This record gives sequence, C-alpha cells and structure tokens, in this order.
Amino acid sequence: MNNELSNLIHQARSGDIRAASRLMSRMVDEPQRLVELFSETDDCPQPRLVLGITGAPGSGKSTLTDRIAGEYRNRYPDRKLGIIAVDPSSPFTGGAVLGDRVRMMRHSTDPMIFIRSLASRGHLGGLALGARAVVHVMGLIGCEVILVETVGVGQSEVEVASRCDLTLVVLAPGQGDSIQMLKAGLMEAGNLFVINKADRDGADQLYQSLVSVLQLKPKNEIRSAGYCTDVVPELENVFLVSAFEGRNIDRLVDAIELYTHQHHEQWKAHRQRQVQEEVREALLEEVRRRVLKVMGVNGRSEARIDRILRGETGVAELASELMKEAAGMTEKGDL
Amino acid sequence: MDRNDKRIRILIGKPGLDGHDRGAKYVAQILRDAGFEVIYTGIRRTPEQIVEAAIQEDVSAIGLSLLSGAHKFLFKRVIDLLKEKGASDIQVFGGGTIPPDDIPMLKQMGVCAVFTPGTPGRVIVQTLKEHLQVPA
Repeated sequence: MNNELSNLIHQARSGDIRAASRLMSRMVDEPQRLVELFSETDDCPQPRLVLGITGAPGSGKSTLTDRIAGEYRNRYPDRKLGIIAVDPSSPFTGGAVLGDRVRMMRHSTDPMIFIRSLASRGHLGGLALGARAVVHVMGLIGCEVILVETVGVGQSEVEVASRCDLTLVVLAPGQGDSIQMLKAGLMEAGNLFVINKADRDGADQLYQSLVSVLQLKPKNEIRSAGYCTDVVPELENVFLVSAFEGRNIDRLVDAIELYTHQHHEQWKAHRQRQVQEEVREALLEEVRRRVLKVMGVNGRSEARIDRILRGETGVAELASELMKEAAGMTEKGDL
Repeated sequence: MDRNDKRIRILIGKPGLDGHDRGAKYVAQILRDAGFEVIYTGIRRTPEQIVEAAIQEDVSAIGLSLLSGAHKFLFKRVIDLLKEKGASDIQVFGGGTIPPDDIPMLKQMGVCAVFTPGTPGRVIVQTLKEHLQVPA
C-alpha cells in the first residue's frame, strides 16, 4: 500500500474535504487502485442509497438531480448527501466541459452536500471508470445518499443500472413514441421512470404511453431482464414531474424512500457481489495499461503492427509476446 | 489519447452580478480543446460558491471572468477564501474588461495572469500551461 494514498484515506475519513477530493482525483486517474481503497476501508460506513439518474441529453437530469437533492436536504437536515455528475470527454482532445454543476450551484455552499463532476474519459457505459471509487470516497466522508448522474445516454448505455442500487430513467416529451419504449436497453435498466418537463406539451401523452407499455409486461417479469432483478415494482413506478417547476418531486422522493426502506438489505448483498466485478475490472485495467505501455515504447507499436500486416507474425503470436513483456514490468510501470 | 491520462482540471466561473458569459464560455471551450477538464459554474456566483466548488472538484486553477468593474473586491475575496481553506496552491487567473492599470495590483494580490479582451486563445493556453507546469 502506497503511503500517500494511505494518508489521504486517513485524512478523508477524519472529515478533511480537501483530502477527500484529492483522493477522488487519485482514484479517477488510476482506477486500478480501487482495490487498495477497498482493502484499506472495508470497515467504513457506506451509503444507504446509491441512486442512478440516467436519460437522454437535455432530458433534465441535472435539474432533477438538483431537485431531489434539495428535497432530501429538506427532509433530513442533518444527513450528508453526495452528487456525482458525469459529462463526456472529447474523443479528439481528451478535454471536457463539465457543466452539470450550473444547475446545482445553490447547493454549492451547503456543507452537507459534496458535488463532484467527472469526465467520462473515453469510457463508454455512461459513467466514468472512477465513478465507483468516488461513490466509495463519498461513503467514507459520511454521505448517506449518493446521486449518480450519467452522461446523456442513447439507447444502450446501461452500466449505471449495475453500479447503483436503484436506477431512475428520465424521459422528456418530444423524444419518441411508444415504439421507442419497447426497444431493448435503457428502458429495461430503469426501476423508476420519470417523465420530466410536465410543464411542456406532450408530457401527458408520453406518460400515458409509458404506463401502457409497462403494463404490457407481466408484473413479476418487469425488470427481470435488467440488472437489479431484486426490485419488483409492486409500487407506483412512473412519475410525471416538472423539475423546472419543482412539481411532484415530493412524490418521487416518497417512492425512492419506500424502495430504499424495502430493499436496503438486498442492495447490500448486491453491492457485495458487485465488488467482485469491480476488482475484476481493476485487474483488467492494470493489464490494459501495462500492455499499452509495452506496445507504445519507442514507437515500436507501428513496427509491430507492420509485422502483422506483412504476414510475418500472427495476431495471437504478437499478443503473447506483448503479454510476456507486460508481465515483466515492475509496479512502477517501467520496463 | 490514453483515456486515463491524468487531466488538469480548471474551474471557470463568473462572480458578481454581470451576466455576460460569452467570454467565460469562449475560454471554457478553448481550454477544453487544449485537453483540460473544465468545470463551468455559470453566471452570478458568489466567491464562496466558487471556492467551495473548486475544492470539491480538486481543480488546479480558477478562472474568473468579470465585466462588472468589481474585480478588485471579488478577486481578493476568492484569494482570501482559498487561503482560509488552506487551498492557496490553487492558482487564480482572470479575464474580462479589466483596466490595464489595475493589472499590477491584481498580480500583487496573487492573480497569476489576466487576459483582457482580444487575447488570442493560444496565448491563454500557453500561459496557463506554463503556470500549471503542464509538459508541452
């Protein structure tokens, strides 16, 4: 275990916000170190609810996140809350503009809310590779509820469903008819659905068609195709809200709380299983970094690829060669 | 780009009451194109909000855009708050309609660079890279 990391963890646990935010950066820059974070902090408190909020770009995820956070803070003035907001990185330059905070600035000076923006850095599931570690650090500093807002997603970025306890899919009028809702992917990943922008035309129709599409499924099969198979929507699970006006947010949060109350124990078990998956990913990340490093040294990458193109070696053969070299690397990453 | 290269993070904010955010958005975009991760916080923020956000986001620098004429007070407040929070290592730079005569005073206060209207984007990027010690 690296000393610096150990110190940061210790300081973060004792409530040092700066240390917590630096620790988050370390974990985002080197997601493979999640394992060290886990092993050092297995006794630390973990949030009661990790709520995923996902939906298409411009459907109002940030504004809704802001409203849900506000509602929780009103109900529980003495509980801490964390918000993780992911926006895309440029695939061309690696840069990013992270703008979700603009909708949440009224919480900025609330000492009970910690907001962290993440860039996706080329990760394609709708989250960022370090998102799980940031959730964990927020747990360390005592956040009881954590809201995880994904990048604006299309139809198939459903990673959030496997990473959060409960997933809320946000839809807004003007984004397609009931056929869109029959399609696989995003609609299967939701536990709760929010039709946002109830203040606009078309929201009522969208609400009706979503309710009728969901009714097409036998009740006990709903969501069994998704990740969180243990949440059965015996309760109301479609909400017509206006995040902009703050309409119906209280009913939505009522439902979220009821689900939390009922499923909290199952979620704990789910998280345990999830850790296995995350450690596996951390391992793969370490392997990926090493192989990339071996490939890239002194521009040898092109030369190696040319060898394949000239038929001098096969892909499998070269892969074995690279892995052998990668295996010889020390922890620091040099050859 | 390796997707997990360490990225320098910069917060761009507009403290005070003027709502002209074209300059701030322009700078956010050129920094994005230069490979920075830019946290954009929007208009009419208090120095407290900006400093709190900068700490939670673990940024290396804060860029303040002002056209209101209140730069002396607002820069000082941000720099004082950073000191108070033990975060003086976060660099502060600025831009907007700031009279050239005021620039030495701002620099003395601890502002690392001031970009007045018309500064080319590449100059901004170059200057910030030097201050933040980003390898070229």
